[in-house]
Amino acid sequence: MIAPAIILYTSFNLYPILSSLNMVTRKWQGMRTTYIGLGNFARMLNDKIFWQSLGHNFLFMGIQIPIMIMLALVLAAILNQVRRGRGTLRTIFFLPCVTSLVAYSVLFRMLFQTNGLLNNLLMKLELIQSPIGWLNDPGWARATIMIALTWRWTGYNMVFFIVGMQNISNEIFEAAEVDGANKRQQFFRITMPLLRPVILFSLVTSISGTMQLLDEPNVLTWEGGPANATMTAALYIYRQAFVLNSDFGYAAALSYIVVIITAGFAFTQMKLLGRRD
Amino acid sequence: MKRALFALMAIAVLFVIVPSLSAADAKTITVWCWDPNFNGYSMKEAAAVYNKSHPEVKIQILDVPENIEGKIEAGLQAGGAGLPDIALFQDYVIEKFILNYPNAFVDLKAAGVDYSKFAVYKQGPMTEGNKIYGIPFDTGSTGLWLRADYIKAAGLNPDSYQKNMTWQDVINLGAAIKAKGGKPLLAYDTTSFDTLRIMVQSTGTQFFNKDGSLNLRTPAMEKSLAILKELNDKGLLYNAEGWNNWVSAFNNGETVGLLNAIWIIGTLKSQPGNAGKWMAVPTPRIEGVEGARNASNNGGSSWYVFSSSKNKAVAIDFLKSVWASSTPDALNFYNTILKGAGAMGTYLPSRSGSNYTAPDEFFYKQQPVYKDFAAWMENVPTLLYTPNYVAMRDAVKNAILLMFKGELKTVGDTIAHAEAEYKQVTGR
Repeated sequence: MIAPAIILYTSFNLYPILSSLNMVTRKWQGMRTTYIGLGNFARMLNDKIFWQSLGHNFLFMGIQIPIMIMLALVLAAILNQVRRGRGTLRTIFFLPCVTSLVAYSVLFRMLFQTNGLLNNLLMKLELIQSPIGWLNDPGWARATIMIALTWRWTGYNMVFFIVGMQNISNEIFEAAEVDGANKRQQFFRITMPLLRPVILFSLVTSISGTMQLLDEPNVLTWEGGPANATMTAALYIYRQAFVLNSDFGYAAALSYIVVIITAGFAFTQMKLLGRRD
Repeated sequence: MKRALFALMAIAVLFVIVPSLSAADAKTITVWCWDPNFNGYSMKEAAAVYNKSHPEVKIQILDVPENIEGKIEAGLQAGGAGLPDIALFQDYVIEKFILNYPNAFVDLKAAGVDYSKFAVYKQGPMTEGNKIYGIPFDTGSTGLWLRADYIKAAGLNPDSYQKNMTWQDVINLGAAIKAKGGKPLLAYDTTSFDTLRIMVQSTGTQFFNKDGSLNLRTPAMEKSLAILKELNDKGLLYNAEGWNNWVSAFNNGETVGLLNAIWIIGTLKSQPGNAGKWMAVPTPRIEGVEGARNASNNGGSSWYVFSSSKNKAVAIDFLKSVWASSTPDALNFYNTILKGAGAMGTYLPSRSGSNYTAPDEFFYKQQPVYKDFAAWMENVPTLLYTPNYVAMRDAVKNAILLMFKGELKTVGDTIAHAEAEYKQVTGR
């Protein structure tokens, strides 16, 4: 019974992993490869663009994930209270993460381009004097990526939190109310601690998602532009293999670094998840 | 008895159906390209011409708009699995494929294609020693497209600019229009390398040395960057981010003009309201650089036959007898795609077609633009791309953006920044 699973695992997981061990020791140019030992790793040390790209992953992670999780928690708490139209609201918030990437990036480009909707609105309201370079100023472009990510994934995380909240027994809240705790205290003292496993799960998926971030900077800011300001590790690896000079060896070596970092995160989080107070 | 009958029937079926199946199979040619209104359309017209004499061959044209090079790369890595018989390649990527995948393409020179009849500059990237792999398709012969009505509105005479200009002439023109309260001179796409590439190639200067090493410290590069900086500092550029914004800038009349190739003509004509307003003049010349001329190239692509194709002979015969032949049908085909899609081929005998010389109602004083661009094409220098062209392109493009933002102050800094990024990305 287990044979098919083993065959599938061997051919689609084990074999690629083993063959990548051979790959990273080679300079790869299409069909012509040469053994260079640890050359790819040595090359990596001097590749500032890659380390900067990795830095952007951490930047997005450090700023965007906390904001998104807070937002999702607040939204979930509000929706949990709403009696009528909850299903509709939940669908509306969940919709962005099932929207086609193409439609979504076309929409965001129209909103954020220099003469786009957002700048026009801000100018009309006299909040800004001159248009903001949402897509072509390095700092703002990073902000735009984070806004887009938040738009796309907040509702997704919110759904987990709502489910988690519905599993918390009402009796606890009633008891707290009797003891005179207000809504705010209930949220921070009861809801948040009891949701800890769900929040940790959201963190794990968001962090590994951000480590693999490719779509937004590839489509929204024209391949990690302006001038590599939104280049991420995954996009850079993709470009090394399929856009630049077909160097699959170097791309594989770079992805080892990303795998090690992601594994480190996952390990820490497992430890945290497993811990009981 | 029944069983014998069944066996007989099975054998009959084998004899009747199997050969016809494999025969049909042998005569289907698959082609990959990426623009159904341009190269896809042209291939379809070519297929129609070929089918007149070879009705048994089925030519299937597939539109692969997303990442065609990545798909081809995956197919080549898999030893040709899933690849079509013929594919269209951008001229700037083909050197990478020829070098990285030896024997992936069929040598068409050995197959008897007469390359003396194709534009010389197209043949550089597809040549390896004595072998030539591609059938040149369209030209990216460039010109400066200008709005005659805006020039007139600034009190100037459009006709006096229809000549070989230098970049200084062009900057003066832009400044004069701007001084009269006119629009910025050029639409500039900040995500694209096109403008600088057109400028540098117009001098015949290469981005790479013969050994494949980077060659950015050239007079042509320095002069081009200085001109771009001056254009930007004087407010003569309309900086648009991305293709769509760039197109809407000039199609909506936000700029006096743009610098690009003949293939932009379809985009210009998509705004019928601008009829009679546009004119095209030769690509400006960079003064003081050896080899500088009033012609350049941007873009262009060519057809290649994969060695893995099971129908090589048919594929080659198809390309040879329609795309590389002087029969009346073939010449008429080139004339058709010129009018139908603005696709200007690089097969030199085709330039006598009626559509090349016809006055074009869309342009100022019915300028016969195709005739002009075809004439400029003769002066286009060959460009050496090497497998690292894209890495160089993106490094230079990024450095120009930083120069425009004032983060890189001088032309020297800009070149140094591009060199550093290229070194890191390519590891050499």
